[in-house]
Amino acid sequence: MLFLSQCINGLQLGSIYALVALGYSMVYGIIRLLNFAHGDVIMIGAYIALLTIGAGIHPALAVAVTILGCMLVSVLIEKVAYRPLRSAPRISLLITAIGVSLLLQNLVQLLFTANTRPYPSTAIIPAKALNLGGLSLSLNTLMTILISLGAMVGLHLLIQKTRMGKAMRAVSEDTGAAQLMGIDINRVISITFAIGSALAGVGSVLFCCRYPVVNPTMGSLLGLKAFVAAVLGGIGSIPGAMVGGFAIGFAEVLVTALGFSAWTDAVVFAILILVLLVKPAGLLGKGVAEKV
Amino acid sequence: MDKAMRGYRQIPVYLRYLINILLLAALLALGNHLIVSGAVNRAQKAIILQIGIYALLAVSLNVATGYLGQLPLGHAGFMAVGGYAAAILWKSLPKNTGAMLLGLLLGGLVAAVFGVLIGVPALRLRGDYLAIITLGFGEIIRVLIINLPGITGGTPGLMSIPKHATFPVVYITVIVSCALIHTLMKSRHGRAILAIRENEIAAEASGVNTTFYKVLAFTVSAFFAGVAGALYAGYTGILTPGNFTFMTSINILVMVVLGGLGSMAGSIIAAGILTALPLALQSFNKYRMVIYALLLIVVMIFKPSGLLGRYDFSLTRILEKAVNGRLFPKRGKAGEDHA
Amino acid sequence: MPKRPVNSNMVPLDGLGIIPERDAGSPPILDIRHLCVDFGGLRAVDDFTLLIGKTEIAGLIGPNGAGKTTVFNLLTNVYKPTQGRILLNGQDTRGKSMHELNRLGIARTFQNIRLFSGMTVEDNVKVGMSHGYTDGVLADMFRLPGWWRTERKQHVRALELLDLFSLTDKADVLAGNLPYGDQRRLEIVRALASEPKLLLLDEPAAGMNPSETHELMDNIRMLRDRFSIAIMLIEHDMNLVMGICEGIAVLNYGRIIAKGTPKEIQRNPVVIEAYLGEEASHA
Repeated sequence: MLFLSQCINGLQLGSIYALVALGYSMVYGIIRLLNFAHGDVIMIGAYIALLTIGAGIHPALAVAVTILGCMLVSVLIEKVAYRPLRSAPRISLLITAIGVSLLLQNLVQLLFTANTRPYPSTAIIPAKALNLGGLSLSLNTLMTILISLGAMVGLHLLIQKTRMGKAMRAVSEDTGAAQLMGIDINRVISITFAIGSALAGVGSVLFCCRYPVVNPTMGSLLGLKAFVAAVLGGIGSIPGAMVGGFAIGFAEVLVTALGFSAWTDAVVFAILILVLLVKPAGLLGKGVAEKV
Repeated sequence: MDKAMRGYRQIPVYLRYLINILLLAALLALGNHLIVSGAVNRAQKAIILQIGIYALLAVSLNVATGYLGQLPLGHAGFMAVGGYAAAILWKSLPKNTGAMLLGLLLGGLVAAVFGVLIGVPALRLRGDYLAIITLGFGEIIRVLIINLPGITGGTPGLMSIPKHATFPVVYITVIVSCALIHTLMKSRHGRAILAIRENEIAAEASGVNTTFYKVLAFTVSAFFAGVAGALYAGYTGILTPGNFTFMTSINILVMVVLGGLGSMAGSIIAAGILTALPLALQSFNKYRMVIYALLLIVVMIFKPSGLLGRYDFSLTRILEKAVNGRLFPKRGKAGEDHA
Repeated sequence: MPKRPVNSNMVPLDGLGIIPERDAGSPPILDIRHLCVDFGGLRAVDDFTLLIGKTEIAGLIGPNGAGKTTVFNLLTNVYKPTQGRILLNGQDTRGKSMHELNRLGIARTFQNIRLFSGMTVEDNVKVGMSHGYTDGVLADMFRLPGWWRTERKQHVRALELLDLFSLTDKADVLAGNLPYGDQRRLEIVRALASEPKLLLLDEPAAGMNPSETHELMDNIRMLRDRFSIAIMLIEHDMNLVMGICEGIAVLNYGRIIAKGTPKEIQRNPVVIEAYLGEEASHA
């Protein structure tokens, strides 16, 4: 019973990581950038939710605003900071991404101080528990898992079945060829960022419902762990991000359950280093060879 | 055709060395006099010493970023290892010149060892991954420092470190270090490193052992970061793990990026400005990180190679140009434009 | 009229191919047997067998996408072969790194120019001088006599090599600022700097006009005569190929469809069909 509830715990955490990891993988797949700022977009989403609910707006609407806000910020960042560097060397793009991440964190810190604030998680998902055959399941956990799975299924359908999805796949395979085929790559890239950060927005809400505290640096650790998940599954691979997310979620829950909760972050990092040293392409990833 | 054959008057080699050494010696004497005579107060002296230390940090990071073309994000880790190694040695030795030299050397060597350990696995990876993994290693080093209190004093750190880092010591160490990095880059080994940055596959196909040179550049970068760490320890007299965070690495990176990826002079100037300015404009401290972040983004968008780009400063080259009347090139001269 | 190569009587070897008569006394510089490479499910190069004589100028031709550059990549260990064996000057190239192979005597140019654009022309050439210098890293940092010797030697040699292609005037120019033709020639000079025994040229005449191509043909022959090296080139310009190559292999869909002297290749109906496709058979 304990094992089962821990599994569900892992599933919940894993689905949050998977949602965020998807954003990393999608962006990397399309413009080969490790978007350092992705985790901080989540942090911004948390503050947006904090402000809107604090202003008395209905929680459902607040969630919608949060997701929209994340999408807006992300698309704006892409347009202003990343697009001008589309043809610049990779190191420049990475430095810019670091700059954006720092900017977001420190701007928020300026505006809201570094203090940790409580998040109104119960306003969004009431603290109810369901009883399924002797197993007590919190509404929070259930909703997280269901919503995440729903989002992932939706994403899969989008990528595989729609024209936009096909365009996204084309641009990540070969940007030049896609452009020659008449695909508007700027639009596709913007939409990729938007979708990735919409998922991050959902992830932000679900994450804060599980850990209801908000501070300017909360995005970095979550973002880093989700990044590890994306790399573990194979960066650039959508199913890989999902697999990686659940793997990291389970790993973290396992380590905590074994009593080493202080070491969870170190373990996640160790997994990253191991993956990069043993199989950098990740579980489901394919290494992209450089044309000689 | 050789420059000499084209009628270009060149400054003979011995004279070039003489000019450079005399100038540097003069600056040393001047600085020392100002400090000893009290013309420069304690606060200003502190700024000068810090500028020296950060200049060395920036120049050493430049070896791996500007020259080799990678993006390591754990430079503070090497600074830390070097600092702690030197501090531990200095605390167990009497305060004399021999001990000072030994400490600096040890700091560099210990950091270099870590450089090899981290570099060999990390440099096999693509650029983006290298950034993350070096970030990780930097953090791991910090965690190790915190969790080995027997050696490092843990979180409260090490105190009462003999203050070996006087102005002459810092000045000479920084100058010698920069000179060594400069001579490295002007050798066939330096050319190999630059070639890897320019086009790694072509470099490898041309016979450059890219693995060796990547690890070499990374290790040299680490070595001098360790020396800078030792200077830092010998200057503040106190070391805590909180001195060597990810933010420290970022601060140094901002200096390198701003100054110019691949320009030693740029790194030094940027280190000077970015060290002196915050101390001089205390009221702006709140906005410092926001300004840094904006600077990173803006510089990358408008001048990705940094403010000074790859400018390779050489006093004697400027003098040569002046002697030959080429200091301010005239436009429209036939044969000068390849358009 | 293109000049005929010096004494390029071709004689058969091992029943596997032809090499110049003058090279028949020594083992071939390149001995490739049954080379194959697979990418995923696609066999990009299949059963590739070729012998090249010590001072031969050989040509590798074929329609676009036939796998010619892939062969070059296999020879320089950019790709690992799935099957087959490559002997460079008698040594098996399997498992060696690219820079080790360069040391063993193979140098190349690239289809899309790969110069060190931010470095000067002279420095580009100097990077190619990868062996024969013993000054160590520390010795160079402290400017011991070894550094002075090496710098002098490399400087003199770089200018000598640049002179072969009339690039000495541009020694201090940044390679990225050179006009296209000069960039291509610089790539060849850089490859020569490593004193190869076999020089691989990937489409050296790309983007050149007829007079530049003619000059290139003279240069290639000059390089072979002066340095006694073998040269293998991938080219689409048939004037150049037929004009200087002694042995030619024709590749289509990863397989060799014909091998022989220029005369034989020009008359070969399989080759004609491969290049002109359906039209030829309806002619």
